[in-house]
Amino acid sequence: MPIYETGLAIGFFKSDLAHYFSTISTIKRHIEEQDLVKGLLARDKSFFSYLYDHYSGALYGVILRILKNEDVAEEVLQDVFLKIWDRIESYDAEKGKLFTWMVNITRNQAIDKTRSKEFGKGKKTGTIENSVHAINTKESVETSIEGIGVKELLIKLPEEQRFVIEQHYLNGYTQSEIAKEFNLPLGTVKTRMRMAMQELRSLIGNE
Amino acid sequence: MNIEEYISSGVLEAYVLGDLPTHEMKEVEANLQRYPALREELRRIEEFQESFAMRNAIQPRGEVKAKLMEKLESRPQAKSVSMKTDTSVSLWKYAAAAAVVIAVVSSYFAYDYRSKWQDAQTSLNDLIAQNQQIAQDYNRVNLRLDKIESDLKVVGDPAFTRVVMKGTPNATDALAFVYWNASTQETYLSVQNMRALSHENQYQLWAIVDGKPVDMGVFDTGIAGLLRMKPIGSGAAAFAVTIEPRGGNTTPTLGTMQVTGSIIKG
Repeated sequence: MPIYETGLAIGFFKSDLAHYFSTISTIKRHIEEQDLVKGLLARDKSFFSYLYDHYSGALYGVILRILKNEDVAEEVLQDVFLKIWDRIESYDAEKGKLFTWMVNITRNQAIDKTRSKEFGKGKKTGTIENSVHAINTKESVETSIEGIGVKELLIKLPEEQRFVIEQHYLNGYTQSEIAKEFNLPLGTVKTRMRMAMQELRSLIGNE
Repeated sequence: MNIEEYISSGVLEAYVLGDLPTHEMKEVEANLQRYPALREELRRIEEFQESFAMRNAIQPRGEVKAKLMEKLESRPQAKSVSMKTDTSVSLWKYAAAAAVVIAVVSSYFAYDYRSKWQDAQTSLNDLIAQNQQIAQDYNRVNLRLDKIESDLKVVGDPAFTRVVMKGTPNATDALAFVYWNASTQETYLSVQNMRALSHENQYQLWAIVDGKPVDMGVFDTGIAGLLRMKPIGSGAAAFAVTIEPRGGNTTPTLGTMQVTGSIIKG
């Protein structure tokens, strides 16, 4: 089959086959983390494209859970990837995994957004759905979790562990912020966070 | 240091989540360098965080990537050395292209203006020449006019006596006039019809005073208007023209007399 026909076929069925192809490409084009970093350092945009394909979902999940607004979250996602592209030189593989570095940039960017004036306005003039959520914060969070699909996992955690992890994932709070906000010793927040993560790790591992 | 206790404190999780203040971060990094067990645990925490995020991934809408790639392309690439070079190369390209265009356009205008300048120069030279010609003509005409005016003055002045000199048997058709003012002694000659002479000879005018010829000067034919001759006083009774060698003679060669006329008193 001539190349152009292949391209045409893919282009034509792109929307239907998007999922299929992304699965294929993940399997076919798995790039080792260190090679990916090298490619990004070389300013190779094809590596950037791979980085997006591979990590955008995970990072978007983090952003959307904190911001709860698709338009704003998508905007922040773009900012995050541009930041990663601009700052790749400051990533140090000695200190940790690429994802750890990226997710911290992502979380900080999302938190910055929640604190911006712009985001406050957006919330006030939001949809009816958002207004309903605003009436009951707890319900809003639970609805969001359900919609986002981590509820069934978190529900299995003991209440005290679930609380810290929810504050972290859903409100973007740091551990010291949780300690301050809910009048808990910082050490306690830290150990609860560790226990929650251990618990989740075993839950995922058991699936 | 109790490794177990250190790990169970949750400080590594806090480190991974970026929740530690800078000095604690440095501390953790130093400990990681020293204890392989800590590095092992850190790796597990990081892997959990990544797999948890992957498991709970939410796909952004498809157009987000296109928008992002567009943003990346449209941004000034200050950090990229190669792009910088490309930019400067393309700048030089534009500069060179602009220079060529300017050179071509300038050449055309230079050529065009040179042609126009040459045409203008030629026209100007023609005009200058014409102008000089007209000026010369004007001067000539002016001189002639002056001459005619002065001649008319002489002809019309009643103080002048007109003496008609008719042709002798040597030249029966010949005719000339002398205008003579006896009081001022001014004498003018007007040749009406006299044949042209050879180069060796000239006509000479004579006045007859007391029966003797007095030299009044030589002349050639082809002179328009009045010709001023030597002055002569009140004693003149007649005028005559003879043909003499060029430059004139002391005494007239009477045999060659062409015209003669007496002054009619009154």
